[in-house]
Amino acid sequence: MTEVNSTPAAPGKPCQLHPQSMCPAFGSLRILTRIEGAHPVMATDTGCLYGLTFVTHFYGARKSILAAHLGTEELMAGEIVESTRAAIEVAAKEPGCQLIPVVSLCVAETAGLPEEMLPKRVNDAEVVLVRVPAYAIHSHPEAKDVALAALLNRLGDREGARDKKSLVLLGEVFPADPLAIDALLRQMGVEATITLPGRSIDDLRRAGRAGALAPQHPFYRETMALYRAWDTPIVGGAPVGVSGSYAWLKAVGSLLDLDPALVTQVAEAEREQAQAILAAQPLSGRVLVTGYEGTEIAYARLLVEAGAEVPYVSTSIASDPLTLPDELWLRGRGTREIVYRKSLEDDMAALDKYQPDLVLGTTPFAAAAKERGIPAMYFTNQLASRPFFLSTGMAATLGFIKQTLDRTASYQWMQDFFESDDTDQAVEASAHA
Amino acid sequence: MPKIIRDLPDTSSYWAAIWTLCPLPDVHVICDAPIGCFNLVATAIPDYTDAIPHIENVTPSVIREAEVGGSGTGAAVERTYKDLADTGVIDGKHLIVVSTAESEMIGSDLSDLVTKLAPGTTFFHSESLSDDEWHGRDRVLQWLWDNYGAAQAADVAVEPGLVNIIGPTYGCFNAPADLHEIKRLIEGAGGRVNLVFPFESTLADMSQLAKAQVNVVLYQEFGHTLADSLGQPWLHAPIGIRATTEFIRQLGAHLGTQQQAAAFIRQEKRTTLQAVWDLWKGPQGDWFSTITVGLVATQTYVDGLTDYLSRELGMQIAFSATRPRRPDGLDNEGVRSTIHQRAPSFVFGSINEKIYLSEANARQTNFIPAAFPGPVVRRAVGTPFMGYHGTVYIVQEIVNRLYDTLYNFLPLDSAYARQTNGGPPPAAASGNDGSTSGDATNGNPGNLPWQADAKAVLDAAVEQLPFLARISASRELQMRVEAQARARGLREVTTDLAAEILSPERK
Repeated sequence: MTEVNSTPAAPGKPCQLHPQSMCPAFGSLRILTRIEGAHPVMATDTGCLYGLTFVTHFYGARKSILAAHLGTEELMAGEIVESTRAAIEVAAKEPGCQLIPVVSLCVAETAGLPEEMLPKRVNDAEVVLVRVPAYAIHSHPEAKDVALAALLNRLGDREGARDKKSLVLLGEVFPADPLAIDALLRQMGVEATITLPGRSIDDLRRAGRAGALAPQHPFYRETMALYRAWDTPIVGGAPVGVSGSYAWLKAVGSLLDLDPALVTQVAEAEREQAQAILAAQPLSGRVLVTGYEGTEIAYARLLVEAGAEVPYVSTSIASDPLTLPDELWLRGRGTREIVYRKSLEDDMAALDKYQPDLVLGTTPFAAAAKERGIPAMYFTNQLASRPFFLSTGMAATLGFIKQTLDRTASYQWMQDFFESDDTDQAVEASAHA
Repeated sequence: MPKIIRDLPDTSSYWAAIWTLCPLPDVHVICDAPIGCFNLVATAIPDYTDAIPHIENVTPSVIREAEVGGSGTGAAVERTYKDLADTGVIDGKHLIVVSTAESEMIGSDLSDLVTKLAPGTTFFHSESLSDDEWHGRDRVLQWLWDNYGAAQAADVAVEPGLVNIIGPTYGCFNAPADLHEIKRLIEGAGGRVNLVFPFESTLADMSQLAKAQVNVVLYQEFGHTLADSLGQPWLHAPIGIRATTEFIRQLGAHLGTQQQAAAFIRQEKRTTLQAVWDLWKGPQGDWFSTITVGLVATQTYVDGLTDYLSRELGMQIAFSATRPRRPDGLDNEGVRSTIHQRAPSFVFGSINEKIYLSEANARQTNFIPAAFPGPVVRRAVGTPFMGYHGTVYIVQEIVNRLYDTLYNFLPLDSAYARQTNGGPPPAAASGNDGSTSGDATNGNPGNLPWQADAKAVLDAAVEQLPFLARISASRELQMRVEAQARARGLREVTTDLAAEILSPERK
């Protein structure tokens, strides 16, 4: 490296060549396509459309997706509005269509898609514009927030009386998690929970009348701003781990004005159960937690509480006051680096530096760890899709982590086999694996 | 009327550029892209099309608001280049900067800028706002030849017996198996494989394409322009018995190895192809003419499968659509309504057709992946559509699906479903009507009388189903209607009831 070519990156910090996030816009499609009766219309170029439709058909919904055709011709002729309106008309004819989210992406946003030029409603369907250009949103989780805020802003019911003892659980979680949370909250006197994002348009409507909002993840800034404007209280933290769950249950109790004795009784019982689970399956080992879901810090907190060492956490979202409590908690317990808006280069440097026993990461990073014989999992597929919250979620997640750590030998054998040219050695390793 | 897209089947020429350039290990690409265009092309999609964790030799300039807002992407590309150079990643590599839809949208032309980067760096304007992936691949292959091959090839002499294969790139459905089979055919016909470009080549080697006596272009969709530039005779890769036999003969004629080619064909009839001959002679072959097939794939696959399944085996092609779409061909709107109206016994297609089948509740239809988009691992070399091995693989796949259809229709005592409390498992449920747990349809004594028009409704519902499913399905449907009649205390099956119960089957 010569002086002339030195980069503007901070000393000791690797350059950020490969930022790690799914295309940010996918976060919105993931949420929008899963709503029953919603038929999204996309406004974008063909390459973008192909890729986002592909991942939507893998992770979102089995749903046919319409789009305006935006080629050179349409863009030159300024026909972006006409094309989008035409696609909206077709979407409105789908059976049971009640909602048409118009997802406006990089090229359409650059060209300009004025909201007032789109219909507000076609037949039975509300038309809601969701602007998610990747060049401005930066991460996949943050686009979930943009989409949800747009939907709530239009659909949230502000007319009816507030359901004072109801709570919105905000954040994509494993389907069993809200059931467990709901069951516990009902014991405390909560009358209803609404899980967003979800599959029901009615949930979006009645979420406008909820007594309080409880974001489970730290990237719902716009949605929270909406609830603040609605004068609805917001519960901090999340029911994660022993201390986190206890504090969260108490906070819900006080915000919803529930019977304090009852709340304490439920929260303490849950804490005992959580402690028993930790005592029964303590973790040991060094883990890097490095997804792009925006939920990594909470997972790191759980692992640390269970006994693991987590020196390094990275995520695709930006630093935010919402991440601060968990960040301080982690730093107080040995976490040395917490990287926001991370790149593959950041994670690779951590791999060299910390020599972990387990990596939870993006696909390129997990693959790099496996190349070194280190057990590794794609965070999105393996963690975001199993129970996590309260003691029951804790048991499921920790059990999975422990199981993966126990499989270290097979990761090493695979690496030996594929990296070694010495066939005898590979067979030898197999005998010991 | 403005153009509308339903479930886009073909991606853009920017993707074509990345997927054609990056298999070359001595190339590094800077894509002038926002983070999403980088992630989808280099990681998220090739994970599921090519089963690779990510494409390593591509780095994005990461277009942000500032670049879109007026500063342009030049500085971002330059910064990316410097970081790459500093980390040594591009040492000894050919650096190519590629435009994207977004960089084209903001008018970012980097032809001048690349002259200030590493010597020899080039700019490929991918025309991503107007071209599709197929035209894009064809164009970038020719562009590579113009910039990195033609001049160096001036003094390369043709070497008799050598054969190039042009294609595949990343993102070509089933490429490893088809490529493997085509290599086998070339060797069988008496040739030797020279370069497989770009998949198994380097850019530095590109001029060596000129050494081959014959070129095989794997797909009709791209590669022909490069093949024409090379100036030697070239052939398209074949699908089906006749096309494959003709391919081997022609290759032998071009190479002067006619006798070896003829001997190979004779040998293949007694070995590889024997399975097709045996299935034709066996009871399986009797079903072929009852099978209806829908095809949605590349022209290469649609033409090949039409030849093989229809002209050679006698199956009926219910509909077919090529991707990219021919001007007079079915678009996805047309494919979707065709499937919704009446689904054939087999659909070869992409995830789009699979979704349309789900929407139509067409559980009697067998879906066989034959095109992208859609997640499917095709890294085993034993699943070709091309060549003689392809004919065996395809017919074997069809027959095994028919066996499954039959299996799922055989009666199963309903007591087991009651015991497990959740009804039959999904696989079995897809065989019977799926809307009942089994005990409503099974085990009732005798038949109820049917009004004549009610029977006509049943017949019409059965007629809609693929042939092989009909015998058992007719019994299933009958029992389902009768169970409802009994539940409602009717003494005969009325037309209204039959229409009510069977209407979902009549889509």
